[in-house]
Amino acid sequence: MEWADFTAGRTGDLHGRAIREMTNTTNTRRDTLFDVEEMELNFGPQHPSTHGVLRLKLKVDGERIVDCYPIIGYLHRGTEKLFELHPFFQNVPHTDRLDYVAAATNNLAYVGAVEKLIGLVVPPRARYIRTILCELQRISSHLLWLATHAIDIGAMTPFFYCFREREIILDLFEEYCGARLTLNCMRPGGQPFDLPVGWGERCAEFLDDFPSKIDEYEGLLTNNRIWKKRTVGVGVLPADLAQEYGVTGPMLRASGVQWDIRKAMPYEAYGDVEFDIPVTYNGDTYDRYLVRMEEMRQSVRIVEQCLDKLPDGLIMAKSPRVLKAPKQSDAYFSIEGPKGEIGFYLVGDGTPNPHRCRVRAPSFMNLQVVPILAKDQLLADMVAVLGTTDIVLGEVDR
Amino acid sequence: MSSRGAHPRHPAPYRYTIVERLYLPLLSGLWVTLRHFVRNFFGRGKTYTINYPEERRLYSPRYRGHHILTTRPDGSLRCVACFLCAAACPAECIHIEAGEHPDLNIEKYPLLYNIDMLRCVFCGYCVDACPEEAIIMSNNHDMAYFNRGQSVVTKDELQKPYAYDESRLGYRPHYPEEQAQHAALRHGLVDLVEEARRQGADSASRTAS
Amino acid sequence: MFDLLATGAKMAVWMTVLLSVTPVMVWVERRGAALIQDRLGPNRVGPLGLFQSLADAVKLLFKEDIATLESDKFLYTLAPMLAVVPALTTFVVIPFGPDIEVAGRPVSLLVSEAETGALLLLALASLGVYSLVMAGYSANNKYSLMGAVRASAQMISYELALALSVVAALVPVGSLRLDHVVSYQQGTWWGFLPHWNLFPQFIGFLVFLIASFAETNRLPFDLPEAESELVAGYHTEYSSMKFSLFFMGEYMSMATLSILASTLFLGGWHLPGLDYSGWWVTAATTGLLVLMAKAALFLLLFVWVRWTFPRFRFDQLLRLGWKVLLPLAIANLVLVAALTVSGVL
Repeated sequence: MEWADFTAGRTGDLHGRAIREMTNTTNTRRDTLFDVEEMELNFGPQHPSTHGVLRLKLKVDGERIVDCYPIIGYLHRGTEKLFELHPFFQNVPHTDRLDYVAAATNNLAYVGAVEKLIGLVVPPRARYIRTILCELQRISSHLLWLATHAIDIGAMTPFFYCFREREIILDLFEEYCGARLTLNCMRPGGQPFDLPVGWGERCAEFLDDFPSKIDEYEGLLTNNRIWKKRTVGVGVLPADLAQEYGVTGPMLRASGVQWDIRKAMPYEAYGDVEFDIPVTYNGDTYDRYLVRMEEMRQSVRIVEQCLDKLPDGLIMAKSPRVLKAPKQSDAYFSIEGPKGEIGFYLVGDGTPNPHRCRVRAPSFMNLQVVPILAKDQLLADMVAVLGTTDIVLGEVDR
Repeated sequence: MSSRGAHPRHPAPYRYTIVERLYLPLLSGLWVTLRHFVRNFFGRGKTYTINYPEERRLYSPRYRGHHILTTRPDGSLRCVACFLCAAACPAECIHIEAGEHPDLNIEKYPLLYNIDMLRCVFCGYCVDACPEEAIIMSNNHDMAYFNRGQSVVTKDELQKPYAYDESRLGYRPHYPEEQAQHAALRHGLVDLVEEARRQGADSASRTAS
Repeated sequence: MFDLLATGAKMAVWMTVLLSVTPVMVWVERRGAALIQDRLGPNRVGPLGLFQSLADAVKLLFKEDIATLESDKFLYTLAPMLAVVPALTTFVVIPFGPDIEVAGRPVSLLVSEAETGALLLLALASLGVYSLVMAGYSANNKYSLMGAVRASAQMISYELALALSVVAALVPVGSLRLDHVVSYQQGTWWGFLPHWNLFPQFIGFLVFLIASFAETNRLPFDLPEAESELVAGYHTEYSSMKFSLFFMGEYMSMATLSILASTLFLGGWHLPGLDYSGWWVTAATTGLLVLMAKAALFLLLFVWVRWTFPRFRFDQLLRLGWKVLLPLAIANLVLVAALTVSGVL
């Protein structure tokens, strides 16, 4: 597709108007004093702040971005096809590699879809363990986001502070399931392992400590004038545009739409715990930052409640030896991942393998608005916008 | 910050206070870093880095690392070449060729048992699948190879590492320290089955009425 | 002959200081960052990792020297040299000790006793921007070019504020020579407050400090080499010794500006209460050490700030330079001039 088609067809004037109304930080006036020649700039796939192998073809007029065209596919591994070649349970490790910084939520979305397709009922203890894992995963994913986002904007120290806490979460994961990133910690029908002895206490210890660490990051960033200058009013995403593009997760909530699958359609143990959904209304980079910071605090609340309420009993449902989906069956199950709604659509054909698997990857949907957010911003804002979109290319390319 | 009613609400542009206009909040950031600096300078802080090859972390007993083929007391491999691990492997990295065992009670043994460590995704399914507890995992993760050929590990090498060092064992079917927990779980199992029966009876009576 | 020897010795002292500042500062920066960030930092080469910079230098020496195919080879080679030159020449007008007497002849610890002292310094310091522009232009890389454009805009706009704050420091002295600035700052107010320019010209000091952050391309003003936006900015394509010359140039200009700041605002080599009248060797050493201690404060501040703040955006940076710092510097200059004319200073 050509540049002109791309922007003329898709962005419309909706965004331009919104930008003009809501921000006056960027100078959108075209200077006609000199001849202006636009430069094409390849932003990625090997660039420090594209978070993987995203390539953005930018047209820049000096520092100002005239046009932005993302090119994806550098990490395409044919995962969806791979799902069709393996029985249901063997696909769980593949889901680890979609959003590779948030494996637990991917696992849950997938096994949830399988359970829905086959009709397995998960025992309550397994549900609680899953909730705990997912919320810890959300914290660790947000920490990684904050670390990279801060380093994109130039603050180095939060990076190390975030990784310090993320390390503890990864240790907890390792203790539970033996891996730190590619967890493979759920199975269709329940949990493969119970929590190790003393795990709950170590987790609670971390949770007690963690809010003070969030305060530390916020001390470095939240009220920092430079941070605010770089993020407030940058990359404004209006709520209607966000909904049109299917943007989910913290990005949507920062635009003022209170949509969280954990509350809207509670799965696992989310119906039994109390938590708030942070919503902000400006839809800019700073608000997305605020939303994610608050989400980490809420996740701490959720895990604490789950640890308190953790029921005894089975961790695995009674399930057949070979999981077979009914003929001509399909199921879609989605959960609120750290980056947005992650869902799996499975079609069964009576064999142990899924006939088709479609992944609804939040990063892919969220990436779509990046060209709109980046347009008419400066090159430095591009980095801030991309950082706050929180994409993981493993999930975008699949 | 918490939920403040339904959407959409109008955006509220930020207004900077005079303190912010003077860049004074920058001081709080400087205070955070200074606190860390001073604390670590006088050795009061906690440093999270470890000097890796000399120091090692305590690894989880469930760590999914390099595989181990376990042996019987007489030193022969426990593996009976049933191919369950190869079938369960999502990465298709296990290659087995079976041979007939001289002992009639054992039936088969692996002539060849190769794991391609570059293909392996360390999911632990082979350990789950094994009916003989013949394959377990260690917590060894420093695997480095000069070429792809070396990454295919044969059964001799799989037998070797850490087979007798308890502290380096990783993911395996049984953990002695968790026996009590498993026993408790089995009690839970009974309860749940009874409850399910009761619920089944309830729903049956409901449909009957 | 004696003058020549004396000048050579003075230059040797400055060269030693400036050339050793890079490895030491790199070590301080990395260990300091580690302490701030709860890490260990370099600890393998030598005690406490002290020789890490040495090892890095050796590594850089032996790296392949790469130039892109269509680069302008002449400018590409010239640029890293020019990066070091201004940093290595500005010291000629900065005094590092009292006037001493060696073998019966008076020697002032100042390489060049040019009457235009500070003017020469500003002229030499402003050469720094050429190296960045040349590097960015000649490398034939879009990121380098953008870095160069940013560098030229940034350094030129902050030079004004920097120069005006320097001028304000010179006004009460009535001379352009920096040794006169130091001798003006000797003594105390009311017996305890050092007679430093820092106190009456605090605004000028702040402007100078902020502008020197921008002049040395350090966070929060490291836009010409903002690694998250421009990969490595103007030196994206540089490798090997050429890269390390840029590296050295950055640290040396940091050191130069720190020394200049301590000379202009903190009384230079003079510290009230210290005795500079003894043997010439002790006098000179004390002067140098006091100056270095004061400069070290600024260098530590550079490190501390680098690991705390995010980076400004390009337009914000220019806005800050032209709309905030320049008016402040002018206001400071007017204030100081008024105070001087009215005889307060």
